[in-house]
Amino acid sequence: MKIKSLLIANRGEIAIRIIRTARRMKIRTYAVKTSKEPGAWYLEEADEVIDFSEPVNDIPEFLDIERIVAAAREHGIYAIHPGYGFLAENPEFALRCEEEKIIFIGPSPEAIHKMGNKTVAKELARSHNVPLLEGSEGDVKDLEDARQVAQQIGYPIILKASAGGGGRGMRVVEKEKDLERMFNLASNEADKAFNNRSLFIEKFIREPRHIEFQILADKHGNIVHLGERECSIQRKHQKLIEESPSPVFTPELRRRMGAAAIRIARSVNYYSAGTVEFLLDEKMNFYFIEMNTRIQVEHPVTEMVTGIDLVEQMIRIAEGEKLPFSQKNIRIKGCAVEFRINAEDVQSGFSPSLGTIERISWPESEYVRVDTGVRDGSVITPYYDSLIAKLIIYGETREKALHEASLAIRKFWIKGTRTTLAFCRAVLQNSNFRKGNFNTSFLSKELKIHYQAEPDEMLLAAFFAVYDFARDIKEQEETTIDPGKSKNITPWLLNKRLR
Amino acid sequence: MTKKEETRKKKRDKLIALHTSHKTYEFLNPLEKRLKYKGKYVDIKLHEDPDGFSYIVWKNKKYMLDVIEKNQNRYTIMINGIWHSFSVETPVSLKRKKFLEMQGESASKATVTAPMPGKIIEVLVEIGSEVKEGEPVIILEAMKMQNEITSHASGVVQNIAVAKHDTVMKDDLMIEIKKT
Repeated sequence: MKIKSLLIANRGEIAIRIIRTARRMKIRTYAVKTSKEPGAWYLEEADEVIDFSEPVNDIPEFLDIERIVAAAREHGIYAIHPGYGFLAENPEFALRCEEEKIIFIGPSPEAIHKMGNKTVAKELARSHNVPLLEGSEGDVKDLEDARQVAQQIGYPIILKASAGGGGRGMRVVEKEKDLERMFNLASNEADKAFNNRSLFIEKFIREPRHIEFQILADKHGNIVHLGERECSIQRKHQKLIEESPSPVFTPELRRRMGAAAIRIARSVNYYSAGTVEFLLDEKMNFYFIEMNTRIQVEHPVTEMVTGIDLVEQMIRIAEGEKLPFSQKNIRIKGCAVEFRINAEDVQSGFSPSLGTIERISWPESEYVRVDTGVRDGSVITPYYDSLIAKLIIYGETREKALHEASLAIRKFWIKGTRTTLAFCRAVLQNSNFRKGNFNTSFLSKELKIHYQAEPDEMLLAAFFAVYDFARDIKEQEETTIDPGKSKNITPWLLNKRLR
Repeated sequence: MTKKEETRKKKRDKLIALHTSHKTYEFLNPLEKRLKYKGKYVDIKLHEDPDGFSYIVWKNKKYMLDVIEKNQNRYTIMINGIWHSFSVETPVSLKRKKFLEMQGESASKATVTAPMPGKIIEVLVEIGSEVKEGEPVIILEAMKMQNEITSHASGVVQNIAVAKHDTVMKDDLMIEIKKT
């Protein structure tokens, strides 16, 4: 069935990203307005806005399954795209859409459910001959159970939220004495984030690479992979820079891991876009971790190197179309790197930096793609994530892409909030990053300084401070009547001195 | 103007930026937009746009600049995505400041303040607890993440200003530690 209208149950850059493709496909788009971001840009990009500003209960707007489904029905909307986060991996939401005859742009509720349960997902991997990490058989019951499992498989271990994702509810435990504290931290965080305290345990592989495979599958049993994404530059399990292809990959490894990813997808009769995540150790052994049954934040790098619009494919698959290509038609061409520009203060341990984006601008070129949900005047609120923009750079080779990235970041200007741009510069200057020689411990071990200042910057900043101060005094002097000219001191200046 | 007056004026127009790292930068008549660089005076090309971006052109490169905090003589300047904090001093005030610093006893107390606004999930220490540098003392939830806040000094906890479930603002005092 042709989809003629689409409700986007999401906000920010991904809402705009989906609207762009939908518009090209002549699909009418509906966005959801919340009281938290009433002036957000994504609302203007959509054809229609559904107003959720008046609270009807205390469920956050983008998590309110019944309200979203009811709105879609009321407006006679054909389909819902959940984006990432929020309800994107909620099987109940997919099921409710199905029940109400609304097309859910994503996989089946069963596939979401199975892959969402880490224990079931692992069992599927095991039975389909995909290597995985040792760990607890399902969830651990309590701290004592956790202690026993950890002793069996040996430290270090990692605690993970069973309902988790996105790095939340995850803690590495190096020694037994840290177990209790970390166990409580992880289960509290899991409870907060997913309303589910359950944790499971895995052997922790030191310094692996984080590699994920992009999958596309239709409802007719055709499954392809679109190559890998290298996502090893992370901080506390949050990805910061992603690229495709991975600098360490060989065609042979891509073929083997791609086949494993396809086996995982096939095990749940997967359709739509999905991502199979692996850890890759130094010896190029890979281990399945999980499958994300949604579009990913970092999907643009795959689009840049394959030329395939993933959102378009998701919509076409949802309409029941067959994939227009087979594995042998898919070519990885060039290299694409994505930098997540977050409203975070790198100089204070990446703490959130809220505020208004007074101005934002970036250099436009054939090598640069920017996916963002903000523009001049947009507010970074505490309600949602801290992503300001994704800067995606393409190059015929990795060297060229990194070179273009250095130029683009230099000209990516944001006024009004602190950002991770200086961090991106620091990574780009690192010789091991440039050589492709890095893993998930890059931030903690390799990158000593998390931000990069150029020579003379402090001098120029000092000048600007002094200049602004001197100008203030001059203005003050011009507007005050100086009672004792010979004293050469104004009360204003004196006041400043006394501080 | 007599010679004496002239020297005094010069002195008055000399301003010093004192960086938090104690590095100092001296500028004579900053409003003339010149600075001494490697022994020579160099003109500063400053482009200001209060509603847009301000930048300095330096060695053929543009440096985006913004005053992100300003409180009397204290400034935080963002340049090229990195911030630097300064206090702007006159030669006299700098002298006075240094004198006062020498007078002040070497700080025996350390404080743990909130690095970001958030909610206290757990206080991991009690009054009298001995803490080591780098040891987590508080768990603070912000932006959906639980963050371990560590002590940056070793010592004994003297005061706890927050409790579980409290909401804190950035820079709020949370814990005081008597250094050992």
